[in-house]
Amino acid sequence: MTGDGLEIRQSSASVWGSSTELRNLKVVSKYIDTSTCIGCKACEVACQEWNDLHIVPTEQAGTYQTMPSLDANYWNLIKFREVEANGSFLWLLRKDGCMHCGDPGCLKACPAPGAIVQYQNGIVDVNPEACIGCKMCETGCPFDVPRYAAATDKMAKCTLCVDRVQVGLEPACVKACPTGCLHFGEKTEMVALGNARVDQLKKNGFAQAALYDPPGVGGTTVITVLAHGDRPEWYGLPKDPQVPGAVRFWKNVLRPLGALAIAASFFAMVGHYLAFGPKEPRPDGGSPKDEPGKRNDGAEKTKGDGPR
Amino acid sequence: MRRMALTDRPPQNGMGDPAMALARRTEDVVVGDEIVRERLSARLVHWTVALTFFVCLFTGLPIWTPYLGSLANLFGGLHVCRVLHPWAGVAFAAASVLMFGQWVSQMKLTPADREFLTPRGLLRYFQYRNEDADVGKYNGGQKLLFWAAALGALGLLATGLVMWFPLGFGQRLREASYLLHDVAFSLFFAMIIGHIYLGTAAEPGTFRSMIRGTVTKSWAQLHHPRWYREVTSQRPKTDT
Repeated sequence: MTGDGLEIRQSSASVWGSSTELRNLKVVSKYIDTSTCIGCKACEVACQEWNDLHIVPTEQAGTYQTMPSLDANYWNLIKFREVEANGSFLWLLRKDGCMHCGDPGCLKACPAPGAIVQYQNGIVDVNPEACIGCKMCETGCPFDVPRYAAATDKMAKCTLCVDRVQVGLEPACVKACPTGCLHFGEKTEMVALGNARVDQLKKNGFAQAALYDPPGVGGTTVITVLAHGDRPEWYGLPKDPQVPGAVRFWKNVLRPLGALAIAASFFAMVGHYLAFGPKEPRPDGGSPKDEPGKRNDGAEKTKGDGPR
Repeated sequence: MRRMALTDRPPQNGMGDPAMALARRTEDVVVGDEIVRERLSARLVHWTVALTFFVCLFTGLPIWTPYLGSLANLFGGLHVCRVLHPWAGVAFAAASVLMFGQWVSQMKLTPADREFLTPRGLLRYFQYRNEDADVGKYNGGQKLLFWAAALGALGLLATGLVMWFPLGFGQRLREASYLLHDVAFSLFFAMIIGHIYLGTAAEPGTFRSMIRGTVTKSWAQLHHPRWYREVTSQRPKTDT
């Protein structure tokens, strides 16, 4: 079903494109319905088990949440958020993890060729072998997802179980979910499913329900149904996520300008030499008393020293 | 005065250059038709800065752009560059501090230097039409280079530290550091290209001032006439 599509669409710090762009490969998607999540954390356990991640000590912060935020050893975290609004109280649960952006800021910021790749099927993956541990991806990500593993000097995050997807299986978290709030399939199908659920929510009194697939990052491969779709920040999601403008400016404008300045300096010097040549004392220059007979000490090996 | 007696004699085979011997600790002394310009400590600190700069440059360029990725092979790969670059940067900054201390007292910009640094003054300099200029031991451009290098090293260090430990800083500061590190590097490298050109091909006889520490009288007269007059008009001094 969705097992193909592992041709690379784009790769970090690559000089040339990585894809033929010829094959019409399917784009996949993980669907998350926050309105039917019961916070059972089966997805967290499944993620840890499938990916053979180390056990991470839980850290209590006064909620049901396993730990305050994602970790290099913990890629899938249910966020339990309490929101007071319009005189009522909301307990909002959302599965946090990599959104697998269509236009990934991490990949844009990454300086290591091939350390972050995006497959044709939309999955954004990390290649630890190429990762140099510079942490630039953390600045590029608008969702605060990539995590640095100090022990190995590598970045880590959700792979959308690319090792399962490539053999036609759904991600471990989807497999484990008991309520059906997680689904996996072709993106068009998942968007249709999400829109249907949004319509259902609207009929049930959630007039602002929406499907979170933010266009500012080229859409996301992980799409999220929000009952309060007008307030994604209640769920800990940015309202209009973008690849940081500074990162785009840095890579698209500043770097070429810098290269231009360096090249201009080089060619200006070459041009100056061709036009004016070296500046040397004239053979007839200086007063006679200032031009004592040259000492023949064999030391003046530097060419052009004094009149010749 | 024993030293001076030595320098008055032509060097003998196997005795080395007496001017260089004097250049270990002394500057602005005439020895035969040479003038001691940069003492050993100044030359050492200059080349320490240069060496650490080039390590920073060649480990930084492959991180800067994949087009120069093959430079990483000089050091054993991009991973090595990523580890080496910040430490070389710390060494570069430390050497820059020493260099600042070495030369700062001689780098005050005079009105004549400001005139030198006007577009008209620079044009005259690059068109070799400033032989009458009132140029002391360092011209306005050299002094500007000194201050720009100090400012650049400071900026590269400050932004580099944020880039080295980004998780301790906020998003906006990290973004600003990435941008400013790039700007500072680009301008610094462009400036150093000019510095190397002027110190070698454009002005023959200059490079030896950083190697042997001495220059010829005719070089000094051409490039630094006021310094030449000051040095030749006084009694040669010793390092004592």
